[in-house]
Amino acid sequence: MKNEKLMGKDLINIGIFSAIYFIIIFAIAMLGYIPIFMPLICVIGPLIGGIPFMLFLTKVKKFGMILIMSLIMGILMLLTGMGYYSIIVGAISGFIAEMIYKSGKYQSAGKAVLTHGVFSIWMWGNFIPLFTNSEKYFSTRQDFGQEYIDALTSLLPPWMFPTLLAACFVCGIIGGLIGKSVMKKHFIKAGIV
Amino acid sequence: MRANVLQATVEKRGLVFDPRTKLLLLIAMTTFVLGGAGQKSGFGGIVFSAISVILCFLPFLLLLAAKRRKAALRYAILYLAMYVIFIFVTPQTRGILNFFILGTSGIITRFMPSILLGFYVVSSTTVSEFTAAMQKMHISEKIIIPLSVMFRFFPTVGDEFRCINQAMRMRGIVFGGKNMSKMLEYRLVPLLSCSVKIGEELSAAALTRGLGGTVKRTNVCEIGFHMQDWVVFLLCATAYFMLILSKFGVL
Amino acid sequence: MIEMNNVSFTYANTEACILEDISLQIKEGECVLLCGGSGCGKTTVTRLLNGLIPHYYEGTVSGSVVINGLDVTKAELYETAKYVGSVFQNPRSQFFCVDTTSEIAFGCENMGLESPLIKERVAEAAEKLNAVNLLGRNIFQLSGGEKQKIACASVSAMEPAVFVLDEPTSNLDMPAIGDLRRTLLAWKAEGKTIVIAEHRLYWLKDICDRVVYMAEGKIAFDIPISAFLEFSPIKIRELGLRSLSMEALHSTKPPSYGAEEFTLKDFYFSMEDIPILSIPALTLPQGSLIAVIGENGAGKSTFSRCLCGLEKGFRGKVLFHSALYGRRKMLEKSYLVMQDVNHQLFCESVEEEIRLGMEGENKEKIKGVLADLGLENLCQRHPLSLSGGQKQRVAIASAILADKEFLIFDEPTSGLDFRHMEQTAKLLRSLQGKKTVFMITHDPELIVRCCSHILRFKQGRVAEFYALSKETEGKFFDFFTQS
Repeated sequence: MKNEKLMGKDLINIGIFSAIYFIIIFAIAMLGYIPIFMPLICVIGPLIGGIPFMLFLTKVKKFGMILIMSLIMGILMLLTGMGYYSIIVGAISGFIAEMIYKSGKYQSAGKAVLTHGVFSIWMWGNFIPLFTNSEKYFSTRQDFGQEYIDALTSLLPPWMFPTLLAACFVCGIIGGLIGKSVMKKHFIKAGIV
Repeated sequence: MRANVLQATVEKRGLVFDPRTKLLLLIAMTTFVLGGAGQKSGFGGIVFSAISVILCFLPFLLLLAAKRRKAALRYAILYLAMYVIFIFVTPQTRGILNFFILGTSGIITRFMPSILLGFYVVSSTTVSEFTAAMQKMHISEKIIIPLSVMFRFFPTVGDEFRCINQAMRMRGIVFGGKNMSKMLEYRLVPLLSCSVKIGEELSAAALTRGLGGTVKRTNVCEIGFHMQDWVVFLLCATAYFMLILSKFGVL
Repeated sequence: MIEMNNVSFTYANTEACILEDISLQIKEGECVLLCGGSGCGKTTVTRLLNGLIPHYYEGTVSGSVVINGLDVTKAELYETAKYVGSVFQNPRSQFFCVDTTSEIAFGCENMGLESPLIKERVAEAAEKLNAVNLLGRNIFQLSGGEKQKIACASVSAMEPAVFVLDEPTSNLDMPAIGDLRRTLLAWKAEGKTIVIAEHRLYWLKDICDRVVYMAEGKIAFDIPISAFLEFSPIKIRELGLRSLSMEALHSTKPPSYGAEEFTLKDFYFSMEDIPILSIPALTLPQGSLIAVIGENGAGKSTFSRCLCGLEKGFRGKVLFHSALYGRRKMLEKSYLVMQDVNHQLFCESVEEEIRLGMEGENKEKIKGVLADLGLENLCQRHPLSLSGGQKQRVAIASAILADKEFLIFDEPTSGLDFRHMEQTAKLLRSLQGKKTVFMITHDPELIVRCCSHILRFKQGRVAEFYALSKETEGKFFDFFTQS
């Protein structure tokens, strides 16, 4: 590799794969229209997102591409009104994912799966507002009574917070494996990779 | 699939705000409505409730100003309905029904203002305005270029998706038909391979027009602050000022 | 202006040398046509000129390509971009922005020009290319021809000395080609140097000064256009090139009529209350090859989607063998082979692909169809790894095995050279009598080679329907020459 800096070609690749990845996740997030299913996004999103992401990783050869994609997901979340939490979470998880893939010299297949696991954590950022002082939020309507507040805390109990994080990571690993097998089955045979 | 993120055209879109103002609003919305910042009782409680109410009301006004009456009305009705359910119906229900209604109305009243504001932002901003704003905020080209490619690519992915869907229907691969288990694979494989090909052609076309050079890119799109921007700015500043005051225990 | 000295090139990851010892000198203000069959290396030459080789498409280059004193094999792409402007084949994939005005400004923005100057150049380019009415529009809503015009304007605004075009008309209809022709003439009048790789030749007769014919990675001949125009139609065909003029085309065979007929009924369709298609009734011969022609927006694609049962609100019926087919039945009985066949190949292997829509197991039938279409040896290949023509055949095989009665082809020969176009025509002819075939096309050469009937649309209505024969040839050619 003659040039370590990100070139136009790399930046365009990031944009293209971000678009595909986001549309797929967005289609899944439609499940969230039935709000009770919202936490399921942390399971299905990483599972399916693995397919485009593993294909993206075959184009990643320089430092920064994974981190930028992660940040872009965060920015999109802000733009679509899901808050700025995903930018912060994505910056951290994206950086760690980048370091993992870099440690495999941007070609290790095993590290790629792990990278996707860590990368998927950005989705978890969207759930932070459901936990941050949720009692406080609802208690502004003081006339609700204690029973009501109890019911709410049980809707998304505190233990769900780390559980969702773990779900993102574990499903991300599984999604990475799925992505890997689809790559073998189709993209390598078809000569796209 | 509607893929209309940042696909606005310049014609007929009513009152125009600077994209930076819109971003500021989104951030304020996250802090005060999604994040529920601020203290919750006493005089401060009233102040912050007022701020939330104003912020929740804003997407409605903005959509009206952007001549999207239908969306604005739908938002207002759904939001009010959910609010009424939240306050009057949930205390009357028990068990699983309560869980369901509470979850639905609770999450909707909390996320909807913000999501609607998001809808307003992406449907009233053009890609060039957005990139111009980001350039003025000194965000790196390494983020601006992928973002603009992405916005350009959304409708393309949508088109590809539609074509593939049609092809699948002609082959009898539908929900409820045989091969259902493979629907996802059948959809993603052509989608990805076609997108990669289009992406390559797009890269080639962009690079031969000098993208990625060392000179600083110009942006012909003119953006700037107007009266309406200052009003919103003042509103957000007041809200954050109150938040700081409350942190110091003044309120 | 342009000096290519002993250039050879091999793409990375392949053995075969794609260009061998090419030397070419082009003077300032000259317009050079590169022609030859697919894979002859003409696209590679254009990529060397605009620097995409070796900076984007990697491989090994020897020799030098010097444009205006700049060795483009060594210079960065954004340097080359100032001297060489490029227009590509596919109008859908070569724009970067969403609205037309930013798109025209895009190249200038990358060069870092001052904002007022860019605006001036955008206005000028739009004026020159007759695209002022397109300014400020969403590019996604433009037709292919309009998109290509914007692509030209964007390059034009950068004011390069050399324009390189790689098969720019592949996806265009006749009026759009006319527009492109005017664009090239405008550039030529300004004294720009133009290099164009193209299959369709007739529209370049009075633009090009020189013709460079390539075969197997070498320049076979390099002659002035006047000498090239002397070539007989037979010689042109032997070279594997598309016809130089409409007059050279003649319907080769008497059309065969199907004995039976079928009727389309109540083909009405509107979008957002604007009627797009209105055909009360239309009786057509079964088992014939019908060319569907008409201008952009005449309702051709809506017609094909309705016929395939893909439009959900569509209420029309088809009377076939005394049975009345509704939308759902038509979805079962018809198949649209899309312009981009890649959209309709889903499986891991060709065999699995063609069995996908089949009822039950019938090994004999599969074997027969595979043999008919020359796919036996490709059974285990991944469909997406095949060539364009092979993919088309796989799609046809799957349609035949799924018992489809109606096949609709959308632009089956866009971007094909003479040899491949002729192959497709042969393939389509072989379906005659077995299936009813519609083809939406802008390619008169294809039509005279295989179609028996012409169905012309105008503003959503059937303007005329006739069998193609010596008597009707005249009005058929008129349609293609008028624009």
